[in-house]
Amino acid sequence: MGPPAPPLHLANSLASPMHLETSLSQLQDLPRNVGHAIRFESARLTQAAGILLRLPQEVIAQAIVILQRFWTGPDGGNPLEQDAKDAAAAAMYISAKPSGTPVSAKQILTVFAYLASLRGDYAKAQPANNDSQTAELHFTQGQYEVARDRLYKVESEILRVLGFQTHVALPYTLCVNYLQTLEVFQSIGGSKVAKRAIAHLNSALLSPQLLYLTHQPSALATAAIYLAAREVDVKLPEVEWWEVFDVDREELGFLVVGLTSLEGFASECKQAFSHQVIQMTAEDLRLEMEQQELVQEAA
Amino acid sequence: MPSRWADTEEDAAEEAQRKAEKKRIKAEKAQKAEKARLAAAQARANKPSNDREDDSDRPAKRRRVSEEDDGGQDERTEGAAERKLLRWEVPTWSPCRSASLFERLNHIEEGSYGYVSRARSKDTGEVVALKKLKLEPFRDGGFAVTALREIQCLNASKHRHIVDLREIVTSRAGGQGSGGIGDVYLVMEFIEHDLKTLLEDMPEPFMPSEVKTLLLQLGSAVEYLHDHWILHRDLKTSNILMNNRGEIKLADFGMARSVGDPAPKDLTQLVVTLWYRSPELLLGTKIYDGAVDLWSLGCIFGELLLKDALLPGKNEVDQLSKMFELCGIPTEDSWPGFKRLPNARTLRLPPPGKAQTGSIVRSKFPTLTNAGAALLNSLLSLDPTKRPTAKEMLSHPYFTEDPRPKPTAMFPTFPSKAGQEKRRRQDSPDAPARGDAPRLQGDLDFSSIFKGRETEEKGGGFQLKVG
Repeated sequence: MGPPAPPLHLANSLASPMHLETSLSQLQDLPRNVGHAIRFESARLTQAAGILLRLPQEVIAQAIVILQRFWTGPDGGNPLEQDAKDAAAAAMYISAKPSGTPVSAKQILTVFAYLASLRGDYAKAQPANNDSQTAELHFTQGQYEVARDRLYKVESEILRVLGFQTHVALPYTLCVNYLQTLEVFQSIGGSKVAKRAIAHLNSALLSPQLLYLTHQPSALATAAIYLAAREVDVKLPEVEWWEVFDVDREELGFLVVGLTSLEGFASECKQAFSHQVIQMTAEDLRLEMEQQELVQEAA
Repeated sequence: MPSRWADTEEDAAEEAQRKAEKKRIKAEKAQKAEKARLAAAQARANKPSNDREDDSDRPAKRRRVSEEDDGGQDERTEGAAERKLLRWEVPTWSPCRSASLFERLNHIEEGSYGYVSRARSKDTGEVVALKKLKLEPFRDGGFAVTALREIQCLNASKHRHIVDLREIVTSRAGGQGSGGIGDVYLVMEFIEHDLKTLLEDMPEPFMPSEVKTLLLQLGSAVEYLHDHWILHRDLKTSNILMNNRGEIKLADFGMARSVGDPAPKDLTQLVVTLWYRSPELLLGTKIYDGAVDLWSLGCIFGELLLKDALLPGKNEVDQLSKMFELCGIPTEDSWPGFKRLPNARTLRLPPPGKAQTGSIVRSKFPTLTNAGAALLNSLLSLDPTKRPTAKEMLSHPYFTEDPRPKPTAMFPTFPSKAGQEKRRRQDSPDAPARGDAPRLQGDLDFSSIFKGRETEEKGGGFQLKVG
């Protein structure tokens, strides 16, 4: 007898080894660090857009996981052919559409156009509050129609590449449930642990190790709690409590390292691209790379 | 309060003492257990290995487990091998395959959400049902949300009485500007019949024992869906498929969506085919739950008994009048708060006492047992909170009294229309189309709906006006 079928609402489809061998970062014509950077940047863009659209974090997280799936595997999207910002917008559209908080094509396009104008500095993003800003972002009917058709097209391309596997089980509620099980909320710093754990789960969405595509939500939640409790210095049982949540020591260790390394990766990314913007359209990306080749040849 | 798991020095000292004590006891126990296990192993070695009846090694194993429980840490190394973590079969994803891998055999049906045909897989030779989605990106804002939900709900529903979605294939219309993926087909298991066509062609209705089996299967599917936070929202006999082994499978999730608690704010009232639509939906409720599916189940129950639709309304107003005729006029007692529903404000009901407020389900189904009538009545409660849940329905005494549900293997078989020939167009109404829910139209006089029921009652009907 094989392993049991997964509880569908708690489990995710995971990337196969084949997927991971032939992902974005291994594409021949794309340097590895650029591939990582584009993944990271497009996920960040999606998170920023979701916040501006006032979407629940579940919907945003689902969009990012859908986007990460799209960038993965031999048939996955290639940012040299597919504008990364369009892929992010379409992933957001797919995620929000069947949820309790759908958004219109126009809302999505407007927000992504605004964010593109910030050139990567999403911390500056503010909900539009003055007229000059909104006027700048106003599409003409023609521009809007072109952008909308492209959104629909990328949407169906993502659905095709994913084989319509848009279901994403998320670790957030499991995390709270596990914290309750461990009676963490009853200790001083309990809610601090919870906040840190949730923050780790949000950061993990941006992980270059694709933690959400390689590990089930139960493992992510467990690792986030483990790490958060150590950071806040709240004691957890001195037994292998993670096994209660069906996570073994090896997986836990791997995930904790993965979560911890994220900050380093992010600042490295920021530094490497400090003098330039990570190109989010296929055309700009191609131009950029041609230029770099020229520079390298000259040197 | 310090952390529950925090240690103080006293704790540590106490703990150490306790551990030492435990260790001693443990060692003794372990010794004993080891002896027992050796003995068991010996006994097992002396027996043929396939002797499964005799579990002589079991007690020793069980004892070891319980020791581990009260053993705490020092037993861990030994226990580690014993602990088994839950592992699942991990699915992955891959791009949609091409629709050209399937050879179309014959057309089965056309619904509002797509065309269904019978097809054969060129790889495996297996016969499947192919449902081609009607996609109009302009009208639907890209990929239709209903289609997306149908796929997501079917993917999330793996149950023996829910139709199995195998994969999704596309006919990728090549070239730029063609707008994405071309046609999209759902590949599902092929099932010979649908209950609607079957009922139309049967000379006699299903037997009571058969009705029970069908309802139990259907109820278990709905229970599964509701357990997984999915509302089907279009239960009707033409969406219930039946194979030649008497097994039914719920199909057509074009109206389904997943919900949460509290219910999402954007629920539409325009769901469920008219004849199976519940009174609260007709009265325009903004918030509803699984009870809408249970009302539909009640209608299906009646239809299985009658071999004809239970409440075949011509329009929304006629539907309400048919409902009130069968289930009685709602009152503040029988359905508290119904008057506050949006469309109820225009409802002019006869003054209390003048019209029939009770149900006539009992007299409409004279051959049904009391338990059966009670179940039907509860499913057809006008007040949604009075309807049973799917789980409660399944444990109703109706299913345990005689005649017992008939085993599916004993069901008669029927010639399959879908398998062989072009099917007649259904004459039942379609699921509502997308758009705004219409207000109840017209200024209709319902005073005649009770004629022949309460002969002493004259007039006193009710009127409905659109305000």
